[in-house]
Amino acid sequence: MYGTNAIQLVKEIANGEKGQLTAFSSNLFKDVIAECSQHYEDLQKSLRKMQEAGIDFQTQNEDHYGFLIHHLSLLRNKRCLMTYMHSRAEMLRNLIWKVGYEIPEEIEEKLNHTEKEYFKKHSEALRSYMSRVELHLDMDMVPPKDPYIKVRVLDDMGEVQLPSFNTANFAQHSMHFLKRTDAEKYISLGKMEELTG
Amino acid sequence: MANYYDIDDIIMEQQLVPVVFQKAVNGVEIDPSAETDYVEAGSKVELPLWLAYELHLKQVVKMKVPACFNHRTKLELGADGAAVDLRSRCLYFYEFGCKIAPLIGDRDMGSFLLSAFRTRYQQILAKAHNAAFTAPSKLLSFLTKEETNLYEAAQSSMAAFKKWRIGGPRFERASVLGRKRKSTD
Repeated sequence: MYGTNAIQLVKEIANGEKGQLTAFSSNLFKDVIAECSQHYEDLQKSLRKMQEAGIDFQTQNEDHYGFLIHHLSLLRNKRCLMTYMHSRAEMLRNLIWKVGYEIPEEIEEKLNHTEKEYFKKHSEALRSYMSRVELHLDMDMVPPKDPYIKVRVLDDMGEVQLPSFNTANFAQHSMHFLKRTDAEKYISLGKMEELTG
Repeated sequence: MANYYDIDDIIMEQQLVPVVFQKAVNGVEIDPSAETDYVEAGSKVELPLWLAYELHLKQVVKMKVPACFNHRTKLELGADGAAVDLRSRCLYFYEFGCKIAPLIGDRDMGSFLLSAFRTRYQQILAKAHNAAFTAPSKLLSFLTKEETNLYEAAQSSMAAFKKWRIGGPRFERASVLGRKRKSTD
C-alpha cells in the first residue's frame, strides 16, 4: 500500500514521549524519498506512453485515475516528510530555551547533520538578537526572592570557572551557596539540584 | 482544513475506509488481491482516508460506512457510553466521524457523536480528579486520543494547583533530557 513508510515516520513522533527527541531515522526517511521518486517515475512513464498513443492526458480514462492516485500519494508522502522535519525542528528550538546554546551529548547523537547546523544557526541568530536589544531573554521570568540559592551537586564536575569570575570545586554531593544566575545553567542540565526549605 | 503539520490529523487520515471502485484504474498497485497493476470497476478495497477522500470527490470510488461506525457500536454507545472501548475501534473516533459524515451521507452522525462524547466526558473528568496520581486505570485503555488529552489536561491542572499551593523548587532539570539517569556510583 502507498504511504505506509511515511506514516511510520510520523507515528514515531507521535509515539515518543511529549517533547522528547528520538534518533533521526535516516533509513525510513530515505525509503520514503525513494517511494516518492518511484511515483514520479511511474507518472513519467505513463505520460510518455499516452503521448506516443496520441491521447490527450485530460481524457478521463483509467490511466487518468492512475495519475491521480500517484499524485495524491506523492502529496501525502511530502506532507509526512515535512511534518517529521517540522516537529523535530520545533523541539530543537525549544531546546535552546531550556538547556542553553550547547547541545548535551545524549541529544546531539540523535540529530541529523542538517539539524545540528540548524541548531547552531538558530542559536547564533538568537544571541545576536539579544545583544542587539540588550536583554537576556533566556533568564527566568519570575523575579527571585533571593539572588543566592542553595544547591547540591549531582555530577562530579571538578574545578569550574563560574560566569561571575569565581572558581568553585563542584565535587559530587557537595553543597554550595551560589549566585542564582550561575546555578541556573547547571540545574537545567541536571548536574545540580536546588535545595529548598 | 486542519493544520498541514498536525500529527494527529495525519494519523487520523490513515484510517482505512471500505470503498467500491466506480471506474477502472490503470497503473497502480492498490488492490492487494489483484495480480496486475489494474483495478477493475466494482472491486472492493480498503483505502486510507487521505486517498479515499479525494477519489470519492472525483467519483472514482464510493465510500461505505467504516466498521467502527456500524450499528452495533451505535447501540453500545447508546446503552452505556462510558463503558465502551472506543480506542480499539478507532483511536480518532470523533475526528474520523466528523470527516466522514458528509461523505457517506449520514445525517445522524453529528448528533450521535455529540451524545457519545457528552456521556463519556462527564466520566472522564470525574475519574481524572478522583483517581489522581494513582496508577493509570483501566479507563485509559478505553479512551480515544481526544479523550486521553482531556484526561491528562485535567490531571496536570490538578498537579499545577497543588504545586502552587505547597510550593517547590523553581528550577528543575529540563524535561527534554528525559528521565533522570541512575547515579553513577
